[in-house]
Amino acid sequence: MIQENLVINYQRKPLPEKLFKVGLLLLVVGFVGVVLAYISNSARASFNLLVVFTWIASIGVGSMFFIGIEYLTGAVWSVPFRRVAEITASFVLVLPILAIPILSSIHSLYHWSHTEAVQVDQILKNKSAYLNQTFFIVRLIITLLLWFLFYYLFTSISRKQDKSFDQSLTKKNTIVSAVFMPVFAVTLTFFAIDWLMSLEPHWYSTIFGVYYFAGSFLAALGVFTFVSISLNEKGFLVDGLGSEHYYSMGALIFAFTNFWAYIAFSQFMLIWYANLPEETFWFINRGVGSWLYFSIGIIFVKFIVPYILLLPQPAKMDPLRLKIAALWVLFAHYYDLFWVVMPTYSNGGVPFGWMELVFPVFAVGLLIVLFYILSKNVNLVPIGDPKLKRGLEFHL
Amino acid sequence: MDNQMNTSENLYGVGALFKDPNKIVKVVEKLVELGYKHWDVHSSYPLHGIPKRMRLKWSPLGYVALILGLTGTLTGLFLTWWTMSVDYPLTIGGKPWFSFPAFVPVLFELTVLLASVGTAIVMLFIIFKFPNNQHPLHDTEYMKKVSVDHFGVFIEAKDELFELEKVKSLFNDFGADEIIEIAYDRNEVAFKPKVFDVKFISFLVVIAIITSSVAYLFNNKILYFPPFDFMLNQFRLGPQESSTFFADGFGMRKPPAGTVARNQEFYPFKNKPDEAGMKLVNPLLATKENLELGRNKFNTFCSPCHGWRGEGDSRLNGQFPNPPSLHSEKVRNWTDGRIYHVIMEGQNVMPSYASQLTEKERWAVILYIRSLQRALNAKQEDIQ
Amino acid sequence: MSSNIDYSIEPEVVEGQPKLNQINEAIAKPLETRPSWKYLVALGISSTMLLIGAVCLGFSFYYGIGLWGNNQPVGWAIPIVNFVFWVGIGHAGTLISAILFLFRQRWRTGISRFAEAMTIFAVITAGLFPLIHTGRPWLAGYLFPLPNQHRLWVNFTSPLIWDVFAVSTYLTVSFVFWYIGLIPDLAMLRDRTKSKIKKTIYSIFSLGWRHSNRHWHHYEMIYLILAGFATPLVLSVHTIVSFDFAVSILPGWHTTIFPPYFVAGAVFSGFAMVQNVLIVVRKIFNLEHIITLDTLEKMNKVMLATGMMVGYAYGMEFFIAWYSGNPLESFVFLNRAFGNYAWAYWIMVSCNVIFTQLFWFKKIRRNIVAMFIIGVLVNVGMWFERFVIVVTTLSRDFLPSSWDYYKPTLVDIGILLGSFGLFFTLVILFIRSLPVVSISEVKAVVKGSQPVHH
Repeated sequence: MIQENLVINYQRKPLPEKLFKVGLLLLVVGFVGVVLAYISNSARASFNLLVVFTWIASIGVGSMFFIGIEYLTGAVWSVPFRRVAEITASFVLVLPILAIPILSSIHSLYHWSHTEAVQVDQILKNKSAYLNQTFFIVRLIITLLLWFLFYYLFTSISRKQDKSFDQSLTKKNTIVSAVFMPVFAVTLTFFAIDWLMSLEPHWYSTIFGVYYFAGSFLAALGVFTFVSISLNEKGFLVDGLGSEHYYSMGALIFAFTNFWAYIAFSQFMLIWYANLPEETFWFINRGVGSWLYFSIGIIFVKFIVPYILLLPQPAKMDPLRLKIAALWVLFAHYYDLFWVVMPTYSNGGVPFGWMELVFPVFAVGLLIVLFYILSKNVNLVPIGDPKLKRGLEFHL
Repeated sequence: MDNQMNTSENLYGVGALFKDPNKIVKVVEKLVELGYKHWDVHSSYPLHGIPKRMRLKWSPLGYVALILGLTGTLTGLFLTWWTMSVDYPLTIGGKPWFSFPAFVPVLFELTVLLASVGTAIVMLFIIFKFPNNQHPLHDTEYMKKVSVDHFGVFIEAKDELFELEKVKSLFNDFGADEIIEIAYDRNEVAFKPKVFDVKFISFLVVIAIITSSVAYLFNNKILYFPPFDFMLNQFRLGPQESSTFFADGFGMRKPPAGTVARNQEFYPFKNKPDEAGMKLVNPLLATKENLELGRNKFNTFCSPCHGWRGEGDSRLNGQFPNPPSLHSEKVRNWTDGRIYHVIMEGQNVMPSYASQLTEKERWAVILYIRSLQRALNAKQEDIQ
Repeated sequence: MSSNIDYSIEPEVVEGQPKLNQINEAIAKPLETRPSWKYLVALGISSTMLLIGAVCLGFSFYYGIGLWGNNQPVGWAIPIVNFVFWVGIGHAGTLISAILFLFRQRWRTGISRFAEAMTIFAVITAGLFPLIHTGRPWLAGYLFPLPNQHRLWVNFTSPLIWDVFAVSTYLTVSFVFWYIGLIPDLAMLRDRTKSKIKKTIYSIFSLGWRHSNRHWHHYEMIYLILAGFATPLVLSVHTIVSFDFAVSILPGWHTTIFPPYFVAGAVFSGFAMVQNVLIVVRKIFNLEHIITLDTLEKMNKVMLATGMMVGYAYGMEFFIAWYSGNPLESFVFLNRAFGNYAWAYWIMVSCNVIFTQLFWFKKIRRNIVAMFIIGVLVNVGMWFERFVIVVTTLSRDFLPSSWDYYKPTLVDIGILLGSFGLFFTLVILFIRSLPVVSISEVKAVVKGSQPVHH
């Protein structure tokens, strides 16, 4: 039964071709670059691809977390924009494709995959029940299947509601969200441990999963903010969305910037303070040569700059500043993952060349093309959601 | 109790009470349009959108908080840096004196403390000019109704556009439930919140006196009473205290027989000069360093009696008899060990110099004496 | 409430759409009536508990803290467990006032005043423990960086000093936040009261607030600023408390997840305590339409979420203890589950992880008796969590010849009882002297109270 008062005026407009062309150009240029990179130095290429892989996973699964939180808290301001998050959640779908080249060079990436080396290293031997290729791939498959399952549930229920306006579907998705949360926590943690923490298999940190989560949610928020504001400004959404909605996006980015900084500082300070060599080497590796400047840089890039950009209240409502901050935060997450991953490849200094530029170009192109394709024939606003009208009328 | 006196000299203003918040919006818009400046809206909770419609300026409290917060951070930074790196640096846990990661929690707390408390103080005492219980609106029916469930719009008489009847009819046009005129109380007329108010200053002085006397009493007197003095008067014995525990009443005990002091020397050749001369051997080589040391110590300890070159020309002017020369046949034929024995035990009038010279210094002195002896009895070959 | 919610309408924060003056009446009434005998009995019980604690404290000051069970190897024991427990309980208040405010969750209005008051009382109770456990609390001035005759400064790199700064700041800022919220309500009471003495008191403490919108304008800004500062502050306080343990090198203590784990645990136990006390207060003051069942259900959901975060942390610690390959680390966790304090460990796990899962079921979330019991169990579990962390790690650390079993003494237990006595006495005194619900905030969210937005 469609309640009259819930129907709103929405005209679906296809996204401009130009967007697709730009995305495709970046994708093709990037792809050529990636192939060349693999040919010239497959180890270095694999590390860069790992950064891209974990970056895209962040955005995809972070978007799902955002959707889940919206349902669980009963938030209304984000409802008109939720479809954007549903589309960016689809980024998890490309992960299997990206995983293949990475898995093919697993030996250059992960020291624990060298079985002979593991035999002579007692510490690695003790973890070999967990850190072995078979179980690693099994975990990847399980994680991806679970992520795909929840992606499917969130989006299909939401799309169904576009037609049926059935309120019980909101309740259904709320239950899906509640079940999703613990699954998300566990899968994301082990994903981070497997792909990022095990690059240094002697090292461990119980907060690592939370660290990756903080960065992931920030990246997802960055994409969400940028795309939502851009779409709204160009009229692809509905009337009535403006700076009061944007404020919440800015406030969330600001809050999670603080949260990331808190987690990152806790991890660093505790390891620094206890000064145990079995833990400190991870940070020491990130303090040698040009890595030292890069590490100091992360404080500015991921904390100070977004802080200054978003501290004033008007800044959180201004679309231009928000879009800049959103893109910056996205870049900052790439910088963060680069900082986590690359020292294992190059422990004397920061590797920087054409290769390091080509991979992000490839990633951005891929995401733009993906967004374009997946938004075809889809309402960019969840028109059937019963909270939509409240969302449109939302005021601070 | 309210003063309903209507005379124009002490009329403070006119207020209108409404029950519907939507009417307030309309009144506000009209008042802004008409250009009134000294007016206000009263409600027992904040009404959304009203400040914007009243065209109130953006509150500066955000900037105040930012500045105070940064002040807090800088104060904390200076405090931690100065105390831990400059005034009394201690190496704790092998960490550097300026351990920035460890200071971050303190810096953060000081930032928040100064920003929060400071901004509250600025808002209450500077912007609102609180406490102010002398305001004409207090104790009026207007205020009492606003407290419960009414909303009020109030225009002050001192506004340029104020005219009593015009204002009243304006309120009536908007459907006010009640219109009240409020006048100043006698004591309210001249109210000006003053920081340098006599009562306030004397209050601060009284607080200061009470605090300092309590602090003095506590720290200088009470802390010396039980149970606070338990650590001052401990059961253990202090240095040179008497004791009822030991029979002789002394707290200090002698070391038992056979106790050896640290670095205590044993000289096995007591009263055995010849054995010392036979068994002791100079361990030092005649290096420049050792000879310098020997000369230094000889000049300090030996030369007052033996003279600068060991010839026995004492500088003591007869207080002690002059010693024989060190260049005699006898001494030149003595072994180093035999001379060492003289330094350790003394000889005739000469006392023992064992406590003035360390073992190395004694041997170095002997090297020097040998060099003096060679110098004063040089053979032809020595000059070549 | 039926199970079929209509998502298209804004849920009512206050049931029954009461008029503004009815809200005033409902909340201000208890302040104006004489205390009932039930109130006096409750006060009597809590004061007795407080007295027992005070007597035990007196003995501890006079004879020294050898009266406690602390010894080698468990040098930190029940006093620090109590400290962390009470600081944790305080966190719910700030979370409700500050964080839920920042997230524009209007359902907080019914409970924020009470929760903030509980924060202040919990922090006061907590602050006693670092003070008394030094043995000579009258020398507490040395904890602050004040110039002294020894020309010594505090060790700013020590987490114990960070605690001093954090807890003092937390107490001060919470108090300021609570007080600023009280000012409009005190002004309302001043305008309402007939008693001269009360009028003077209210006038002084309301500072002359006169409900001016020009003032509300700044007031709303400072409320936002204080909420914005209080949020990272509350995270930092329990983080700094966790640093007390995490900066060490002891396995079981030195683990990077402690900061968010402790914060989640604090919110968990704090919400349980607030929920418990609110259930009692709303009944005795007939405020069930303001502190609604919906509010309590939401609090239970928060408890479920934070309980699962705590469970996640348990799992992570356990996994990484194995993953690290460090036999000392693995031993600690096996010892916790199967060693000499296994009884404490299983109380903790069952209360924090297992019983809390009952909140998945809506029926239980909305059942007053069930949620009250679960709330009590959560607090028991969280107390034992701190006990397990502190005592098991110290009782069996690096050198087996130093291992020993710690037993608290009666004085320890008396002081713990006294802390509950202090907290509940302060709460009981509060509910009859100040408005338990923030009147101005509730009025602001009642239907019809705001002008319609154009």
